Amino acid sequence: MRTNVRFPARVSLEQILDGLLRDEEFQQMVTRWETIAPRPARYAPFPEWLDGRIGAALRRRGIQQLYSHQAAALDATRAGKHVVVVTPTASGKTLCYNLPVLDAIAKDHTSRALYIFPTKALSQDQLAELEGESTDMDIELKTYTYDGDTPPAVRAAIRSAGHVVITNPDMLHTGILPHHTKWVKLFENLRYVVLDELHTYRGVFGSHVANVLRRLRRICEFYGSHPVFICTSATIANPEELARHHIEDDVVVIDESGAPRGAKVLVFVNPPVVNRNLGVRKSALLTGRDIAATLLASGVQTIAFARSRVQTELLLTYLRSRFPQPQWPSNLIRGYRGGYLPSERRAIERGLRDGSVRGVVSTNALELGIDIGALQAAVLLGYPGTVASTWQQMGRAGRREDLSAAFLVATSSPTDQYVVQHPEYVLERSPEAGLVNPDNLHVLVHHLKCAAFEIPFDARERFGTEDTPGVLAYLDEQGVLHEAGGKYHWSDQAFPAETTSLRTATNDNVVIVDTTGPAPRTVGSEYHDGKARVIGEIDRFAAQVLLHEQAIYLHESKQLQVERLDWENAKAYVREVKVDYYTQAELAVRIRVIDEFERHTANRGFDLAHGEVLVSTLTTIFKKLTMYTHENVGWGKIHLPEQELQTTSFWCSLPERVVAGWPKERIEVALAGLGNLLHGLAPLFLMCDPHDLGLAVEVRSPHTERPTIYLFDMTPGGIGFSERLFRSYEPLIARAREHLDSCGCRTGCPSCVGPAYALGADVRESVAHLLSLA
Amino acid sequence: MNDLRSRIAAIVERDRRRHGEAGVSGGAGTETLSTRETPSLRDGDPSRAGALGAGASAGLPFSVFEQRIALDDLGLEIVGRGACDARLIAHLGLKGDAPARWQDVLWLDTETTGLAGGTGTYVFLLGIAYFAEGELVLRQHLLHDIGYERAFVETIQAEIEPFRACASYNGKSFDLPLLRTRWVMALRSEIAVDESHLDLLHPARRLWRDRFGSTGLKQLEESLFDEGRTSDIPGALIPDAYFHYLRKRDPAIIAPVLEHNARDIVSLVRVADRVAVAVLAARSGRAPDHAPAAYALARSFERTGELDAAFACYESAFYDGDNPLRVKLALAFARQLERRADVQRALRMMETLLELGLGSPRWREQAESRVRRLTKKRWRHLKPAS
Repeated sequence: MRTNVRFPARVSLEQILDGLLRDEEFQQMVTRWETIAPRPARYAPFPEWLDGRIGAALRRRGIQQLYSHQAAALDATRAGKHVVVVTPTASGKTLCYNLPVLDAIAKDHTSRALYIFPTKALSQDQLAELEGESTDMDIELKTYTYDGDTPPAVRAAIRSAGHVVITNPDMLHTGILPHHTKWVKLFENLRYVVLDELHTYRGVFGSHVANVLRRLRRICEFYGSHPVFICTSATIANPEELARHHIEDDVVVIDESGAPRGAKVLVFVNPPVVNRNLGVRKSALLTGRDIAATLLASGVQTIAFARSRVQTELLLTYLRSRFPQPQWPSNLIRGYRGGYLPSERRAIERGLRDGSVRGVVSTNALELGIDIGALQAAVLLGYPGTVASTWQQMGRAGRREDLSAAFLVATSSPTDQYVVQHPEYVLERSPEAGLVNPDNLHVLVHHLKCAAFEIPFDARERFGTEDTPGVLAYLDEQGVLHEAGGKYHWSDQAFPAETTSLRTATNDNVVIVDTTGPAPRTVGSEYHDGKARVIGEIDRFAAQVLLHEQAIYLHESKQLQVERLDWENAKAYVREVKVDYYTQAELAVRIRVIDEFERHTANRGFDLAHGEVLVSTLTTIFKKLTMYTHENVGWGKIHLPEQELQTTSFWCSLPERVVAGWPKERIEVALAGLGNLLHGLAPLFLMCDPHDLGLAVEVRSPHTERPTIYLFDMTPGGIGFSERLFRSYEPLIARAREHLDSCGCRTGCPSCVGPAYALGADVRESVAHLLSLA
Repeated sequence: MNDLRSRIAAIVERDRRRHGEAGVSGGAGTETLSTRETPSLRDGDPSRAGALGAGASAGLPFSVFEQRIALDDLGLEIVGRGACDARLIAHLGLKGDAPARWQDVLWLDTETTGLAGGTGTYVFLLGIAYFAEGELVLRQHLLHDIGYERAFVETIQAEIEPFRACASYNGKSFDLPLLRTRWVMALRSEIAVDESHLDLLHPARRLWRDRFGSTGLKQLEESLFDEGRTSDIPGALIPDAYFHYLRKRDPAIIAPVLEHNARDIVSLVRVADRVAVAVLAARSGRAPDHAPAAYALARSFERTGELDAAFACYESAFYDGDNPLRVKLALAFARQLERRADVQRALRMMETLLELGLGSPRWREQAESRVRRLTKKRWRHLKPAS
């Protein structure tokens, strides 16, 4: 593939795609070239009951009628039913909730609505949109964002006067619910609660959010309001189930989109094998960079999604070196991920909308409905982990009705290789289910305490679990609650909402402090004003891997070396450096079974179980790897305390007879290989990231006394992955066999059982042997 | 499956460890308290403890303790005596309309189950005081069990309803928001007592922070009245003392808290009196000796439009103060001098400060422009009238 980046030829996306179709070298990497035909719109008239001003204003904006799904959502909310709207990106989901809200306020000025968005950035957009709409419609509507950035001076006004309060779950959790007496007007008159991007409320975060919503409903009850919930979601397998978990009531699912769609080309790209023996493919990062550079050089506005923070920064560095200044404007390509400051993010979003930013490299932060306008192309570096995310990210390109393109570039990870070799998995299969476990005891007890702080608990009340009285009595015994007159009152000095973050199950993050002094060449940039400044934060679990001393941490494509990690006080002090390597820490894992919930013997004596475990992790050393070739050029020791994680796990132990007579080394290799294979494929059954699952193998487990593979939830208390795996064992093993058979390597590679050079020459063969016995 | 109980225990214990609260919050606090020596009660307190015991054992949801203290015993000179001058009240940190009489002011202080605020922080003791028949009437309302808050709040509501002004120490940001929350939780209504509010924290801070370092009530008692608290329960231990009391119902546990609250209210009234004394002295030309205090009063007088008093205070602060303070007040003092047509003196002062090389570049810029303006003005004055 040739990329001519120095001299931009302004060619259209059609021409580029045409060129790629005829580029043989490129076509060898393509496993599927799918063209999706455009789809016409299906309309419905404005409902008659809708306030006249709303229809008139929409007509002035050129909206003569509604899409069919919008009309359906309006009718359902009108009937007082909770709704979840599941339609693609850019199908006009916003109107599904803005119209009922505007109508309610137009008819009754005291009506209130609460909008909950998963991120701050999203709420910024909604604010602008809603304000625009209400001005057009001549309806007096006060809309405010209430989050951590809201100045204290205006908070009081928002509490009493805001018709629509836009916030996020975190602020609801710590800033609104525990202070509900300051929000009497809102809670007394709450008509609608909007839950946007419902599919993001899954896993630990979702389990927390479901409990925050339980608290919200308790408070509404206290003030006598019964709001209707309007949710929107990306396509997932179980929108109704997920919404039911959050709302705990019946929900109407609206999933037939009436919106039109432009033609779209989806390309699945598998980088060529470089070393057949080692099963090493050309880096997805480099392949993706070439595609993105080709698009950018022709002026096609492009978004590239990387899988991790590190990859975002690497790709940004690579692309920027392709478009040097001053020939190219400095903000042609920007990075975007969690950890950037809000002001930076806003600037980037603006730049994308007005076209001054032509390319953006992002983690999944931009997968959500942040308004960045219509991009023409998306490049996905690696399979995003779920079918739902894949569609979301691909949907970032082509929000309007014209041609767009999306490229999925596979890495050599097992899931990626599976997906790129079976593109129908994405194209035809229904996406994953969003799992939440609101009754996870860790999560529930915490929110029950918050709820008791907000309003005393009636002894007969239920909060999620049937065992609420047991939990209440226990907390009373502990002195956290105090029982009097049939009610449990909060009786502790602490402010419970502040003791846990919703985003992680463990609540303390390590703050990253940049101590680099002023650098003349970057005067005016936000980073170097001569003072130490906080540039981001990372949870402790990730910190032990990313922020150990001497680690190279990447931020806005700058390399920062960790000079000191103050583990006690959760601070990492970093300083900018220029080196040609990055670092990778190694994690040692030990596991102890505390409690076995369920056990079952599968085919041929393979024993399966799931239960509660205690996992201890320790980082001991890190490696230095060169930037482009990933060669090992050094290592160092890490001195950090052991981390403990109490969670749930699935485990599978082999019957003695299967490995009878095998040398210990062979069992070790086979077990590690099978573990890698299952760990790699398990995310296909769970709406999760491979990092949400931990893997440990033991040649002789103290618990089962047999060779055992553990796949555990990385969340304290677990959120249901292990039980799901326990029940999906048969299809998991079937898919593992299928994947190993079709893997192109000879002796084992990172895409299947792991690299033979690291594990042992017989790894592939021994795993295949094991699987044939399973 | 593990016993639910032990699993929650692990979670609760971990939360506690994480927040470094071991031994303070919840059950663990019980031990801390029982091993701590209970402060001995002061004069007259045993009877109070008896009354308290009676109230609690009779199953009443709350008790009221009343004391009456003569104004002379409090050493009050201004506050509570004579008419209530609106300008004087303004110097006591007033927000809102000035009350007409001292009797209209409700002095209050709360004791709560925590400092964090929010709906789960209860007010279990509300001490109020007001002037009546030449005495200060101090009434403390103690809630025996947070489960009976509603009756408690209803009674207090009836009692404080006649008052439209209140006085507190840091009540604007602490006591009143908490009371407002309790009113919504118990009665779903608004509390009206704070339409006018004297928050003494602010004047006290302006007058004395520089001199005494801290302006906590305890510190002010020591510094202004030379009375140290010897057996006072530290504020941080009060929530746990109450939680302990909730379980044990032993009057000896809560007595020190009642004592603490009573002292806080009495001190509040006496501190207000001291502020008033300083204001009246300055009005009659006796500005405070301590320069930062004089400066603070000067500004306060400027706000109330008492410009002669402001002048006297600026002058005193300028002569007694150090150079940084002089720089801080020079521009305002020069304006007062100018108003009194003493342009010469204003100029001399500004020029001296500039010659000494004092002040920030920004201040010097302002000072220089002032000097230019004053110089022009002086020439106009010197020119014979034509």
